Amino acid sequence: MSALHPFSLLAIAAALPAFAWILPAPGGGLATATLALALALVPDVRAGARVVRVAVLTAAPFWLFLLLLHDLPTTVAMGLRITTMVASFVWLVAALPPDRLVEAMVARGWSLTLAYLFAATLSAVPVLKARAQRIVEAQRCRGLSPRGSVANRLRALRALALPLVLSALHEVDERAFALETRGMGSGVHRTPLAAPPDRPLERAARWALLLLCLAAVIWRLA
Amino acid sequence: MALSRALAFDGVGFSYGNVAALSDVSFEVAAGERVALLGRNGAGKSTIVRLVTGLVHPDPGSVWIGDWDTADLAPEDLARRVGSVFQHADQQLFARTLREDVGFGPRALGFPAREVRRRTDEALDALDLHAHAEQHPYDLSPALRKVGALAGALALEPSLLILDEPTAGLDRAWRARVADALREHAERGAALLVVTHDLTFAAETLERGIVLDRGRLACDEPLERLLTSAERLKPLGLVPPPIAALSVALDLPGRPVRERDAAHTLARVAGGRSAS
Amino acid sequence: MRTLGLDDVTFWYPATANPALENITLDVGPGDIVALVGRGGAGASTLLLVAAGLAPRVTGGRLAGTVSRGARAGIVLPTPWTQLSGMAFTVWDEVAFGPANLGWPGHAISRHVDHALERLEIAPLASRDPASLSGGELQRVIIAGILAMDPDLVLLDEPTAELDPEGARAVWRLVRSLAGEGKAVLLATSDVDALPDVADRIVWLEQGSVRAMGEPSLLAEDALCEAGLGTTVAGLWRAAALPAPYPLTVVDAVQRWR
Repeated sequence: MSALHPFSLLAIAAALPAFAWILPAPGGGLATATLALALALVPDVRAGARVVRVAVLTAAPFWLFLLLLHDLPTTVAMGLRITTMVASFVWLVAALPPDRLVEAMVARGWSLTLAYLFAATLSAVPVLKARAQRIVEAQRCRGLSPRGSVANRLRALRALALPLVLSALHEVDERAFALETRGMGSGVHRTPLAAPPDRPLERAARWALLLLCLAAVIWRLA
Repeated sequence: MALSRALAFDGVGFSYGNVAALSDVSFEVAAGERVALLGRNGAGKSTIVRLVTGLVHPDPGSVWIGDWDTADLAPEDLARRVGSVFQHADQQLFARTLREDVGFGPRALGFPAREVRRRTDEALDALDLHAHAEQHPYDLSPALRKVGALAGALALEPSLLILDEPTAGLDRAWRARVADALREHAERGAALLVVTHDLTFAAETLERGIVLDRGRLACDEPLERLLTSAERLKPLGLVPPPIAALSVALDLPGRPVRERDAAHTLARVAGGRSAS
Repeated sequence: MRTLGLDDVTFWYPATANPALENITLDVGPGDIVALVGRGGAGASTLLLVAAGLAPRVTGGRLAGTVSRGARAGIVLPTPWTQLSGMAFTVWDEVAFGPANLGWPGHAISRHVDHALERLEIAPLASRDPASLSGGELQRVIIAGILAMDPDLVLLDEPTAELDPEGARAVWRLVRSLAGEGKAVLLATSDVDALPDVADRIVWLEQGSVRAMGEPSLLAEDALCEAGLGTTVAGLWRAAALPAPYPLTVVDAVQRWR
């Protein structure tokens, strides 16, 4: 996976959900969801299993809501599509280091701000995870019990989610200052530190993927 | 609430994976005692904080909060006896008003509303925060949020208060207010364990110093003696704070380390010299 | 010849009636170390943002007066974790982030980054993930990241906040060596006791205006001590009701005593 160009990884992560929605349910959804989850296991089964678990746990609440709102066939169809989206994103976060993505974008001449938007989304996950851990610890030390009744757990969630979001939002200004002072937005063309190599075969494969998506759309509409 | 032995570390070791963070640490803190936990960054101070709050458990050895062995208890259980404020506590606030956030702990422990109100008021009082009580925490400066987090810990009325760098980022006025609140709390029987780099604050507020060096206990003695001894502090990465250094340099009788004592002694000695 | 000049600068944050800075006139030249002292909220951080060109450009708000900056400025904020680029997996790449954004050629970037890592004594951390560092290590990485851009004006907001005493001493040594190279340094700190040996000039800010400006001996003046901003030794002398002028440091006091 790490040998692939970041754009290829992006293309795969975008194509799978696209196919999930384009292809007829439930077969299409099932195929793409399985593929997305299987991808995570490719280089390293143990790390992959963790990725799969995160994906499944994140998708689970959606299945629950769907079940409450729709009948079974619709639930399965939509659930599989959502699972594909979630699994693709989780896989992307695990497989793609943000700095490689930025370097790839920069080498291609894309705007640094756009690159940052992508990179920040991907790298936000471990940062927020670490902070969430610290906040949970602090709240537990104030007597908050994460166990017990539903009301209790909801209260615990609020005591975790609010400070996480508030502190993250509050820091947005400072992050903007820091990036500015380090030259972002200066309009100068950034020197790529280690542009990842892009093989012509991969390039071709990405275009092929795109064409395949378009073909599928046309086929569905016809 | 006051127990004669507020905290005890008994042969405590702890490792993060293969890295030993603490080895064979043993000490006791009595009720009402005020202890500074000193040492370089990485010496193991934060690990001690995590052990006291029950976030991690010692291996080997045991940690006692009064007569409770932390090995069987979760942090939320220990919150009945231990009030803690971590570094960057300004990030943990979330309630709509400061008052509500300060009351979070007592509420979580299940105290009735009247009791929560009393504790909140007393904590806000101790730190002179009434003026800000109805404001949203994020409308306050990070320094005020930090002090607010301390108020939250005081509201738990713990028998042991453990603080990690409580004065970082506070100006002198706030540091003095925090010092007063802590001394008051200790007078009522609570034990204090404060991790700090601010040796001036330690000298003013605390009485005993425990110094960690690479995970081991290097010193455990009265601050007055420790802070005036540059030869002992230097290998531990510490330097006597200004007043202690001055005491030694001017050879003041009694080697005072607190401003008030040093001022008296200085005035007396100066008066004696001008008279002679 | 000045690297930074603020001429009668007044600054309002957006949607605020009261200015955060009022009529500030301040010059910092190459090799100067100017320290801002004041109570919390006095405006030191805002002044640094104005000096960095971030206020009002990024903060919004209104600025009256003139800010002249002869050179590139770099600012280090007090919260290291908010200053990570989020785009680097190693400390080396993190420090290289700024120079790369400036479009420097690869060999220049390498040279500056290696030099910065050495100066901050963090070369052993070069391949570590910035997210795994302690607060103190992170602060040094951020400072290195700014120094690698070779700014002529270095702005530091509470540079020793996350550091232990040894780390703090190393930063003050670094500040002196930066000035020795001809850089202009403007910093805000609550570690007043360190300033007599570091700063050339002290600026006392109160509610956004300059209340006093002068040599470090300012830190032993009555008004400043009264406000709790003097050095500990000066404060002690004053508390002992000994006559002014009060000594600044332990060394001064010992000399006075003899």
